[in-house]
Amino acid sequence: MNNNAIEAIQLVKQFKQKKSKKAEFDKKRGFFQKKAAQPIFTAVDGIDLVIHRGEVFGLLGPNGAGKSTTIRMLCTLLEPTSGTAFVNGFEIRKQPTQVRQSLGTLLAGERSIYWKLTGRENLMYFAALYHIPTRVAKQRVEELLKLMELTDRADEMVEKYSTGMKQRIAISKALVAKPPILLFDEPTLGLDPQAARNVRDLILKLKSEGHTILLTTHYMEEADLLSDRIGIIDKGKIIALGTPEQLKEQIQQKEVIHLEISGWFEQLEHVIKEIPGIDHLIVKEGENSSLQNISLQTVNSRAAIPLLIDKVNVNGTHLVNMNILKPSLEDVFINLTGKALRD
Amino acid sequence: MTNLPNVLNLKPNRLLAELNAIRAIVIKQWLHTVRYPTWVLQLLIWPLIFPAAYILTARAFAGPEQIALPVFNAATGTDNYIGYIVIGTLIWMWQNIVLWNVGLSLREEQLRGTLESNWLTPVWRFSLLIGSILVQTVTIFFFIAVTFLEYRFLFQIHFQGNIGLVILAFAVAFPSIYGIGITFASLVLRIKEANSLVHFVRGFVMIFCGITFPISVLPGWMKSVSQWLPQTYVIRAIREITLVGADFNMVKQDLLILLGFGFIWMVIGYFAFTFMDRLSRRSGSIGQY
Repeated sequence: MNNNAIEAIQLVKQFKQKKSKKAEFDKKRGFFQKKAAQPIFTAVDGIDLVIHRGEVFGLLGPNGAGKSTTIRMLCTLLEPTSGTAFVNGFEIRKQPTQVRQSLGTLLAGERSIYWKLTGRENLMYFAALYHIPTRVAKQRVEELLKLMELTDRADEMVEKYSTGMKQRIAISKALVAKPPILLFDEPTLGLDPQAARNVRDLILKLKSEGHTILLTTHYMEEADLLSDRIGIIDKGKIIALGTPEQLKEQIQQKEVIHLEISGWFEQLEHVIKEIPGIDHLIVKEGENSSLQNISLQTVNSRAAIPLLIDKVNVNGTHLVNMNILKPSLEDVFINLTGKALRD
Repeated sequence: MTNLPNVLNLKPNRLLAELNAIRAIVIKQWLHTVRYPTWVLQLLIWPLIFPAAYILTARAFAGPEQIALPVFNAATGTDNYIGYIVIGTLIWMWQNIVLWNVGLSLREEQLRGTLESNWLTPVWRFSLLIGSILVQTVTIFFFIAVTFLEYRFLFQIHFQGNIGLVILAFAVAFPSIYGIGITFASLVLRIKEANSLVHFVRGFVMIFCGITFPISVLPGWMKSVSQWLPQTYVIRAIREITLVGADFNMVKQDLLILLGFGFIWMVIGYFAFTFMDRLSRRSGSIGQY
């Protein structure tokens, strides 16, 4: 058996822009000039990717980077514009049924299940759609309800469940056919911290059982905790690939300084950027509206800090807090793209 | 690596597995129907209310002692104008319900957010529509029975003719009515906003198929259009059987034409579904609201 669970080869997905965009495009071009082709948006731009059996692979990137489009092509919901992929050895264009049989996919979380059915009815329904005989399905559904600690509530309508419980049913739906490969698109999005932690524990348990998991997330800590390897995707391209440690090593020689500043004004950003040895400055909204959070990278914090203090503590602006940290995956992302993940 | 038993290893008989999936789709659809119980009320009220408006209008226009009836008889071959209207409106409501329920079934899944979940499974995608049609057929059977019973007991209307032949006429019309529904369901996957399209189609049927009047009163070009609509033939055949007592030979031609339309509409429906599914996969519109 091929050791690759998923293999993408030069996968490309382009979408035609909407008419309004085309009209805008035509207007700019001028009336008498020859009509141009409809503008194209490239969501995924030639991705090459190999995911080995039994590994958890995190696809990390900001909104609109191409994570979900990639997953949608792999699970045959979207047809690639060019390139191809193999899932469990099956080609996504020519063998879509076998691909779907090999996959358990979680998209759109709680909205992907029927709220007017009970948890048990949902799972029995999807088991039948995966062609599982009723007798086997009943047993499997019981196992899943027990695993998800939903046995007591299994016969209540899903509309009465909490968001976390709905997500557990949605995950159970993906697991009902015991597929070897799981695609989880933002599995903890919108969950409270406890529910999110339960989902992360479950992913680790599924990995220990031998499942291959492709996980998309824009939570850096989640990707760091769960993934054996991570691909960072931006503007449809994979811009970095490796274990979390390998990625962090890329900027190991750098230090990351987090600042909290009161009395922030825009020009200060340019002032700080001019300090020698400082790069990748990111301004973030603070939890406290009177404070501004700043993140920056430097190769020599000892030299940079006195200059920072001098430049910041002027004209009523004060440095309130400062931390020097080891680089995180988010800093790797900032280093690669020059922007924060949630931009 | 742990050897995970998965659905690939189960190797069930594909046909049996697909039938089991259709059974599950029917159960799911049925549970949704009964968990919105107002449909039962609609099923009792609409067969009575909708034709009643036309019947009372006809009664008013018939004049004192219903002196206009001979004119109606000359045009239609029957005095039973109530039965005439009931048959026409029944077929119209059948098509209407199919458009709303089968035609919008995939769109409803799309709005609910569950269409992608279904599309992610290895089930034959057309099975989702088959399941919807089966549930619809049960509802329609109930609807037709309620219509005949309500008019039998409330308006004392006597329908005559061979009941087997009536069932045959409905059965022969089935592929056309549902083929149009499947085509509609496929278009809606792409067009999204389908309400105006439903109103257009049912308005078209209402005018061109003579649901409350004989086709002979239409201007020439409208008569030509009505010849291309299967509803025209099923309305005419069932009226002939139940109001005039026509035998098989008298309606044979209409039934054969209906079979032809049924074949054409089923083929159109299947290819429209396949084409729209492909188009949606290219444009990524399956999961879009």
